[in-house]
Amino acid sequence: MDYYHTPSTVDEALTIAGKLSGNYTFFAGGTDIQNYRKQQLDTNEYVIDLSEIEELDSITIVDGALHLGAMTTLDKIVSSDEIQNHYPIIAEAAKTVATPVLRKTATIGGNLLVTNRCTFYNQSQEWRDGVGSCLRDVGDICQVTGGKNDCYSRNVSDTATALIVLGAEITLMTPNGIIQKSLKDIYLPCGIKFHDLEERCILTQISVPIEPKKWWYKKLRLRKTLDFTSLTVAATIDTAGIARVCLNGVSMSPILIEKPLKELTLEGLISIARKNCKTVDNDLMPLKYRREMINVYLKEWWKSFR
Amino acid sequence: MSGSIGKPTPFIDAVQKVTGQAMYADDYRMPNMLYVSFFRSTESHAKISKLDISEAESYPGVCAVAIGKDIPISFGVLPISPDENAIAVEKVRYKGEIVAAVAAETIKAAREAVEKIKVVYEPIKAFFDPKDSLEVCAPEEQIHSHTKNGKNIHKTAELRFNEPEKELEIAKNKQSGFFKFAGVTHAFTEPHSTLAIWNRDDTLTVISATQVPFYLHKNISKVLGIPLHKIQVKKPTLGGGFGGKSDPFPHEIITAYLAKKTKRPVKCTFSREEVFITHHGRHPTELSMSVSCDDDGIITALDTDIIIDGGAYGSFGVVTSYYNGVLLQGPYKINKFGFRTRRTYTNKHQCGAMRGHGAVNPRYAVEVLLDMMAQSLNMDPCDLRNKNFLPENTLTVGEFRITSNGVRECLEAVRRKSDWDNRYGKLPFGRGLGVACGFFISGSALPIIWNRYPQTVVHAKLDFDGRIVMFSGASDIGQGSDTLLVQIAAEELGISMEYVQVETADTKITPVDLGSYSSRVTFMVGNAAKTATTKVREEMAKAISKEKDVTAENLIFNNCRIHTKDKSIDLSWEEGVEIALAGRGAFVESGYYISPKLGGDFKGSGAGLSPAYSFGAFISEVDVNPNTGAVIVTKVWGAHDCGKALNPLSVEGQIEGSIHMGLGQAISEEMRYHNGQQINANFFDYRIPSSLDTPDMDITIIESNDAEGPYGAKEAGEGPIHPVLPSIGNAIYDAVGIRMMELPITPEKVLSKMKENA
Ligand SMILES: Cc1cc2nc3c(=O)[nH]c(=O)nc-3n(C[C@H](O)[C@H](O)[C@H](O)COP(=O)(O)OP(=O)(O)OC[C@H]3O[C@@H](n4cnc5c(N)ncnc54)[C@H](O)[C@@H]3O)c2cc1C
Ligand code: SF4
Repeated sequence: MDYYHTPSTVDEALTIAGKLSGNYTFFAGGTDIQNYRKQQLDTNEYVIDLSEIEELDSITIVDGALHLGAMTTLDKIVSSDEIQNHYPIIAEAAKTVATPVLRKTATIGGNLLVTNRCTFYNQSQEWRDGVGSCLRDVGDICQVTGGKNDCYSRNVSDTATALIVLGAEITLMTPNGIIQKSLKDIYLPCGIKFHDLEERCILTQISVPIEPKKWWYKKLRLRKTLDFTSLTVAATIDTAGIARVCLNGVSMSPILIEKPLKELTLEGLISIARKNCKTVDNDLMPLKYRREMINVYLKEWWKSFR
Repeated sequence: MSGSIGKPTPFIDAVQKVTGQAMYADDYRMPNMLYVSFFRSTESHAKISKLDISEAESYPGVCAVAIGKDIPISFGVLPISPDENAIAVEKVRYKGEIVAAVAAETIKAAREAVEKIKVVYEPIKAFFDPKDSLEVCAPEEQIHSHTKNGKNIHKTAELRFNEPEKELEIAKNKQSGFFKFAGVTHAFTEPHSTLAIWNRDDTLTVISATQVPFYLHKNISKVLGIPLHKIQVKKPTLGGGFGGKSDPFPHEIITAYLAKKTKRPVKCTFSREEVFITHHGRHPTELSMSVSCDDDGIITALDTDIIIDGGAYGSFGVVTSYYNGVLLQGPYKINKFGFRTRRTYTNKHQCGAMRGHGAVNPRYAVEVLLDMMAQSLNMDPCDLRNKNFLPENTLTVGEFRITSNGVRECLEAVRRKSDWDNRYGKLPFGRGLGVACGFFISGSALPIIWNRYPQTVVHAKLDFDGRIVMFSGASDIGQGSDTLLVQIAAEELGISMEYVQVETADTKITPVDLGSYSSRVTFMVGNAAKTATTKVREEMAKAISKEKDVTAENLIFNNCRIHTKDKSIDLSWEEGVEIALAGRGAFVESGYYISPKLGGDFKGSGAGLSPAYSFGAFISEVDVNPNTGAVIVTKVWGAHDCGKALNPLSVEGQIEGSIHMGLGQAISEEMRYHNGQQINANFFDYRIPSSLDTPDMDITIIESNDAEGPYGAKEAGEGPIHPVLPSIGNAIYDAVGIRMMELPITPEKVLSKMKENA
């Protein structure tokens, strides 16, 4: 299989990537990206499988911060005592991703970088030919809005929602060195280019400072497992009284609302959320209902600490 | 009973299946085998004005390309509506219809060659809403030219007895409702797969994932012009059917055609998306129904008008149309009764038979209306039902002959076990209980293709090795009919099951059985197997009685021994076999089953006739979240009268499976379309309840011991699904006070109904 590479270090992976001039795809657990390859939505010739890079598989607490290697599986995260003790919200969020079997392979890095979804895009080639394709693929209109400019595919990462309200930082390795930034900054409000990542960069670590926070997390889906989110809401209130509320699954990127609690009203929160979420009818749950659930979830969160 | 009849018995192929050794159609491989890939329509309704296959034909690795006019003879499972071609001829009628097929040395070459096919379509107005199909359209817009009055109505089925409409007009206590049901599909695990082999003696062998080898055999013969005696259809291990493999399918005929044409083995296996496109599932349905009662809650009349959306072709649709109505004649006595069902053609995937065939949706409606009636009469819904049950040994208004009937015991069991009397109507807001009943046929008394043969024949062979081989055309589709044959032989001959083996579902080797549909196998094949093996026992007893000078009737076959009561004669099974075969060698005994003549002599009287009917009652408990509208079914108590559970393990499995399948249709499953194209043709988006969504189940088997069933048995494969859905709908009412008239009951529907109600 000369198309399939299995580097054992990050450096090696970057070197291989350097030789393939963009014509490659990173595989972590592969549980997301495999579907795209099968449906000919990812047609890169080469695969660089990161699963043999042991340095990226770790859960550690150093200097009062939790560090997660990007290749740590969701299953490990769900069952980690450290995470359950210090950040049950991360375990909770990871537990709502996919199914138990998939979580044995699915990684936290892969989940943070999960591909944006849309009912009209996540389909087979024949299917897309049948409707006439769309902006994000090879067509020239959005099948949902009929528009010619914008794509509204949804970010569906459940763990991103939780990690953003924890103020997570990420570490990226690039040929030009290490980059550190806030997790929320890698998400772009665009359905086509939804990650602000340099070319040839590998997510290596996620770090969260350990400090007491009140938390809340909920995911909307039809079945109790397997379904991607139709709306995920995560929220924290830290000791300084700052509330962070993140909504996902209802826009091109996770929507973070960050404010001192005493400046917030429920009505105000709902109105900011509804304004910032560019929700369109591209999920199997109807648009009207998903919008309505934004109110219901925010209200539920609001009541949870009153 | 000394054998395993009546005892929980694991299926004989269970270990093979769980260890991956069972051979499914796709597991069969042949040297020089070709692979098929299909070129499918991207239009819903269009004329094919140009089709160019030249590049595909010359593509490296391609051996043959087939198009519609190569196989122009139409077919269908029902001889009365053979409206389908294996490959679209001149026009396409749904997105995904096969327009050409390529056979090549590798699947990759076949797929690449498909991409080289060029087609030009001339679109025709497409029909997606069945109501539009009821209207007159331009002749060129008709989906099929054979439909009458310029409309796209495939079939109108109507029966009326004793003027129900008059009673309903004057009735004091009347409940009416308009109900809507989305289409659902079988979602079996194993995709369709067919291997066709053209043999050197110019005969054809087809190994296919089918529930109906016999009908496939007949239709291949018809379409390909191969004489019946030169065809062999074999069903290997099957990964589920539920009605979704009970038609002869285009891909089977095409694969056979390509094998004949290339004189090489040809294999085709569907992707999951192709399985969804092929569909043949439950019809989307809209119906209005009215029921009336007297002041005591005795049902006086029922009338219903039903529209079912058949999709592009006929399949079982004529039968479905009748079943929608006639299967409302029980389990309640209704003397003034009428229905009309119109099955429309639309430009979508074709619908057909699915577990509970035709009766599931109207059952939901009537059970909800009865619940409403009970409420309006201030009567307990269980009591109201109890007052109306048909008795045993009676005729329904449409002359169904009811024999054994355990519906009262069923209702009593679930009522007691769920603590209904103390809990119904008394649970906190958001939690509720609901009840519903049902009944179903144990096999259709009439064959689909009229003939003078019995419905099934079973041969039992005894030879020097002491083994009984049961030859039967019955198709084990996972329901356990192979195990049933073994159990019956072991029971009749007093031997352990290991002495019995089966040869089944092979039209060259086994006597014909019509197929696994309409819950006919246990009843019909069971009876035939019992006759065949009883005859083997009698033959053995005759020989032993002659040799040992005892009366045959005094011989007991038990525990692998043949003995007299006082053991003055006490032979091992092998000794008995030797005596029985002396001077004659191996012998075969035959048993058959023909349904007694049943039914009235009016047009349409044949639909729904069965030698026996199963009955059931279910109670569901739900938890409804009033903020989100989410419904969680927390527990289901199911009681089913299957006559006699020949294998209680398998009966329980069928009831549990029915609960799971019914739950899916009730709350989450739905064939969803966007301009005639299904948007959820995969197991991500077609939402089958997961194990976490599946409620606790409490199963009760009621045994009414039917006089004509084998050992008293009736069916258990389909009947249990009917009450599941309405019991959930009625429980939602008890929980939050809303009547759900549209399935699936998704959260947004619940929420909007609750707002309407507030
Ligand atoms: C049945 C099913 C249900 C699912 N349900 C959910 C769900 O509920 N919620 C949800 O969020 N997801 C769901 N998924 C998608 C997927 O399983 C998860 O998102 C999973 O966490 C992805 O992790 P992975 O390691 O398998 O990622 P991969 O598929 O390997 O990768 C995902 C993407 O991230 C990139 N990538 C991965 N790791 C790195 C890295 N270290 N550096 C740079 N790029 C990287 C890959 O190139 C790819 O583009 C589901 C998938 C299936 C099949
Ligand atoms: S939102 Fe529109 S453009 Fe974007 S993937 Fe969906 S259909 Fe395509």
